[in-house]
Amino acid sequence: MKNIGKLSRRHFLQSTGSLTGAAYFRLLGPGIVAITQAACSAKEAQAAFKVLTASEASDFAAIAARIMPTTDTPGATEAGVVYFFDNAFAAEMSTELSDAREGLAKFNAALDKAHPDNAGFDTLSEDAQDAFLKTQQTGYFFNLSWAMTMFGFFSMEKYGGNKDQLGWDLIGFEGSHGAWQYPFGHYDAEVHAETKHGE
Amino acid sequence: MANEVKFDTREEVDFAIIGSGSAGGILAKELSTAGFKVVVLEQGPYRKASDFNHDELSVFVRGELLGGHNDVHGQTFRQTENDIADRPDVQPARYARNVGGSSVHFTANFWRLRPVDFKERSLLGPIAGTNFADWPITYEELEPYYTKVDWEIGVSGEPGPFDAPRSKPFPMPPMPIKSSGVLMERAAKKLGLHAQPEPHAILSQPHNGRAGCISCGYCMYYGCEAGAKSSTLAAMIPLAEASGNCEIRPDSTVIRIDTNDQGRASQVVYLDAAGTEQAQKAKAVVLSANGAESARLLLMSASPQHPDGLANSSGFVGRNLMHNAHSAVNGVFEYPLNDYKGVQVSRIIHDFYETDEQRGFYGGGGIDARPLFSATPIFHVLAGRDPNVPRWGKQFKETMAHDFTRQMSVVGSTTSLALDSNNITLDPESKDAWGRPAIRETYMDHPDDLAMAGFLEDRAAEILDAAGAVKSWRRGIHPTNGGEHLLGTCRMGDDPASSVVDSKHRSHDVPNLFVCDGSSMVTSGRGQPTMTIMALAFRAADHIKAAAGNGDI
Repeated sequence: MKNIGKLSRRHFLQSTGSLTGAAYFRLLGPGIVAITQAACSAKEAQAAFKVLTASEASDFAAIAARIMPTTDTPGATEAGVVYFFDNAFAAEMSTELSDAREGLAKFNAALDKAHPDNAGFDTLSEDAQDAFLKTQQTGYFFNLSWAMTMFGFFSMEKYGGNKDQLGWDLIGFEGSHGAWQYPFGHYDAEVHAETKHGE
Repeated sequence: MANEVKFDTREEVDFAIIGSGSAGGILAKELSTAGFKVVVLEQGPYRKASDFNHDELSVFVRGELLGGHNDVHGQTFRQTENDIADRPDVQPARYARNVGGSSVHFTANFWRLRPVDFKERSLLGPIAGTNFADWPITYEELEPYYTKVDWEIGVSGEPGPFDAPRSKPFPMPPMPIKSSGVLMERAAKKLGLHAQPEPHAILSQPHNGRAGCISCGYCMYYGCEAGAKSSTLAAMIPLAEASGNCEIRPDSTVIRIDTNDQGRASQVVYLDAAGTEQAQKAKAVVLSANGAESARLLLMSASPQHPDGLANSSGFVGRNLMHNAHSAVNGVFEYPLNDYKGVQVSRIIHDFYETDEQRGFYGGGGIDARPLFSATPIFHVLAGRDPNVPRWGKQFKETMAHDFTRQMSVVGSTTSLALDSNNITLDPESKDAWGRPAIRETYMDHPDDLAMAGFLEDRAAEILDAAGAVKSWRRGIHPTNGGEHLLGTCRMGDDPASSVVDSKHRSHDVPNLFVCDGSSMVTSGRGQPTMTIMALAFRAADHIKAAAGNGDI
């Protein structure tokens, strides 16, 4: 399942044949493309994790929080993305868990080298976290963390992340609920208004 | 359903139809309502409109409508026969596996071919190293069936300045213009081009007892929960079932077409939902499984009488695969377009449809404006986000938050040339989950196809510039690694030495075997093939009905 590690912009951009989605996933393994539908029961902060230990959960949460940081708007932390990680690792991505743990161990070993007296990635300052992540931003573990942060932040709330749909709110995507009335945007509003006046 | 009918597999029905998609669904309706007994074998499940959802993780990431990813299907891909085929995680040849086939999940852009598409070889002369050929039929012969598609399947639109002649107007007006369409129309005016409304296999208003579009925005890759997308699931299958003569048999994976001592097709062997082998007897077999599956099944049906595969005395089964080449340039604008709402495309440009020898290469194409990568969030972040911004951190987040609603793509779709070297064969090792030899795709775009895609990419960049994009970027032109348009692999023709079926879709070799789907197409058109596949199916049905009426099947 190492092919998740190949997940990169370069590969996505090479998949040019299709204008539908599947082409962009040719490098994703079945683990990640078969993320469970298991309903989330762990969105609240106090909820127990299914497979992640408390320390693993805080590491993943801290990494996700730098990938999609909290600024003047909510980020991965507020969206509960770590619960998406836990749900996925507990079910159809369970085959990925040992590789992910191995990756996390290497990540922490590198961290110990860079910051010999650290008390965990989550305890570093944001600037120090970012600086360290920049040394780790290629390869399997980061790519896995990145992809899962994105899937957790932008998939339906039932998968565990995107709490209160704030991932969608951030980008102005008004959810997946259904029907819309014209006009939709700034430019067609002008035209539809002209048409109405003309009628 | 009151008229629900079940046939015993040992009962010789009039027609066994393999596949229920754009062609199979129409043939099922036409033949069953004409009084013939029909069994439709569909490999996928029978999903109804109410089963469709907007779950991007399930549909887009997990490939829900594709029947899962390539761990199930085992397809392999290589660029040339000298390469070792690899087994990518997503199928190279992609299609929806469900009743209604890919007409369920397609984007529903719906262009007719033009007269020139049928006779381009005569007009332009040969192209060395290719199987570039005229069709055995003309636009004029197909036109009544395009019109039939317009009215029976349900097409919204308005004629454009370069459109082929039509015998009846569109049955309903085009879908309203979107911001992407407004911007492209403005650019076209500045550049001296002609933007026209996009025709859709989507109902802009109620039609034939079906509801109109609710503009949910999930056309591309998703099933339509309103039934407004004119899939055969929505438009044809209910009529076939209501005839009392048609059984749709989902979860039926065909493994072989058997022939008898007379060289005639006698039964279709398939695995039922439980994996048990069954065989449906039929007077005639109609193969409409798509350009990848139809070719695979004919090759899998090899026998001592047909050592190279059924209906393959020409060796043309599986050859001439055409995907249409594509380009896309992304642009971001000052104000929100919110182009994720509504159908994908509202305006197209067909000024570059015809081959222009001054360009220095064969080919033509169409341009459209659509959200593409900004229709849904996960697709956007994976493939559509600004590549000049880091992919994590504060700047990444701010860029996503700004761009998603302000972004659109200008897309080019082109011709593909028919080549021996682009083909579907049986993989010698890889199998699918049912134990069938997996589809092996060999494909390298012809240089002219890539040149045309590059030409349209240049035009798209100009259009975005003229439309006032504040930033834009190209995806670049690369040889494809697969596609959804599965065309040309059982081409029609008058000469049995260089085609698989005749002009009426009857196989040259097996008199009671008909093949009708994207595989029938001799040339690729300019990028939106489904309208033509559906018109061919209505036409084939008329010929098959007439032949059956004369006892000639």
